[in-house]
Amino acid sequence: MLKIKNLSKRFGGIQAVTELDIDIKERQIFGLIGPNGAGKSTTLNMIDGSLFPTTGTIIFKEENITHQRPCSRAGKGIARVFQKDVLFSSFSARENIKLGLHLHSNLGLKEIFFPWSAISKKKDRILDEKAMEILKFVRLGEKADEMAINLPHGNQRALGLGIAMATGCDMLLLDEPLTGMNAQETDQMMEMITTLRDEKNLTIVIVEHNIKAVLGLCDQVVVLDFGKKIAQGDPDMVVEMPNVIEAWLGAEQDAV
Amino acid sequence: MNKKTNTMIILLFTLVSFLAGRWAGNDYLLSVLILIAINVLMACSLRTIFILEQISLGHVGFALIGAYSSALMVMKLNISFWLALPLSGSICALTALLLGYPFLRLKGIYFAILTFMLAESLRLIAYNWRSLTGGQFGLTDIPGPGTIGLPFLGTIDFDTMENYYYLTLMVVILSILVLFFIEKSHLNVKWRAIKDAESLAQSVGMNAILHRIMNFVIASFFAGIGGALFAHYQKGLSVEVTSRFGIMASIYLLVYVVIGGKEKFSGPIVGTIVLMMISEFARSFEEYRPIIIGFIAIIVVLFLPEGVTGIPERLTRLKQQLKKG
Repeated sequence: MLKIKNLSKRFGGIQAVTELDIDIKERQIFGLIGPNGAGKSTTLNMIDGSLFPTTGTIIFKEENITHQRPCSRAGKGIARVFQKDVLFSSFSARENIKLGLHLHSNLGLKEIFFPWSAISKKKDRILDEKAMEILKFVRLGEKADEMAINLPHGNQRALGLGIAMATGCDMLLLDEPLTGMNAQETDQMMEMITTLRDEKNLTIVIVEHNIKAVLGLCDQVVVLDFGKKIAQGDPDMVVEMPNVIEAWLGAEQDAV
Repeated sequence: MNKKTNTMIILLFTLVSFLAGRWAGNDYLLSVLILIAINVLMACSLRTIFILEQISLGHVGFALIGAYSSALMVMKLNISFWLALPLSGSICALTALLLGYPFLRLKGIYFAILTFMLAESLRLIAYNWRSLTGGQFGLTDIPGPGTIGLPFLGTIDFDTMENYYYLTLMVVILSILVLFFIEKSHLNVKWRAIKDAESLAQSVGMNAILHRIMNFVIASFFAGIGGALFAHYQKGLSVEVTSRFGIMASIYLLVYVVIGGKEKFSGPIVGTIVLMMISEFARSFEEYRPIIIGFIAIIVVLFLPEGVTGIPERLTRLKQQLKKG
């Protein structure tokens, strides 16, 4: 579904990503792992279009999207849950989802400028229903009208996932979705991610530090170190590889 | 109550300003009223840029383009005032469109500096381009709108101060209504979303830079209209640093918006009227005016960060707290 060929990114004198090749298949949960500064986020930024690569190509559903901007990639079916800008803070949970739905809201000029007209209200009700469905899926059904900023951390993350789902994407990029969550929230989130793949047929790319989650979720991982791919394969197998242990788990091994 | 405040204030502004024109009587008061009306429009359009959390210090630059283009069109090309007014706004909008892409990639203080440089460069160009703008002597004898026959009203001479005031007021109120309309539209929802989380907004498919440019173009259009109205009121234009196109004018506009309250549409209307009245009453100590305005600005920012229009909500909150004990 997503093919990355020979991808490199240079920031001034720093080579953040070097000649990366990745092939992500449909309905895969794909992990991008590695120590801090390995180039995971840079790679994710190039996949969603926030950054353009120095060299290399990105092909999504047989189409070259290397130089498309994030908003056009959203239309093609790539959505992302960010680490920081998780949600629209001055809106309610429901409105957040509706903003996510905006690509499918079919608002014409009339509806944009006359939000109080009958046809706008009718379309708005349809959007409301769709939004509620998604909110129920991310288990925020009861909190639909709460301000997003007032939700607890775990709920905010879930809402972020909801916004991305609302875009009707085929591929979901998750940037450290489990950071700062307690055990229960982590389990819920992991369950949700698996359901998204199983029921909604999404392909998911995860950047995550939580090794347990990576082992539990991913079908396939790529390990990056200093911007280079040092290993790829089944997560259980990859974490046993000596070079991976050295690069990433090295410190932990020493401690033991 | 919150929802209705803006509508109420716009209605009140319309009503009071119409009555004020009747009551003013002399040309001096009318000229103050005209300046207030023009500044209300300038401040409201400046706030449009604030919605996307950008601070422009170059709003007077667009007013300058509007003023000179309207004046020159009427004087040199013999275009009628009625056509020159919307055209000058459109010239500003076009300028904003061309500058939008390079400018709006910058945020916060960088954008503020860039817009400030723009306004100053425009001022200096106008100052030095003698053949076109009259250089340091400026333009003089800019014709007014002249006499025009209107259905039901008969012939009206818009060159008299009172009639020009009503003309200005009509244009200003119409512009404010358009801006209010945009504020209530779905466009503003997207702008707020982009302000909250730009990268997320883009990843759900909003073209953030396009929206930013659109916002800048709309604001600049109305700044141009404000400038044009000013040119034909003053009948003369100059671009000294102390003029209405200097840096102080930009800062005053910013202060009007902040003191009135940038969160609400009615903020700049209230802020402009209150501050311009104060500064008019303080006319006798001319040189202390910036100090007075500055002092008020500091007090408001420290103790009332949401501005004067935030007072009703503050009172409601206070009442609730008192009730709770």
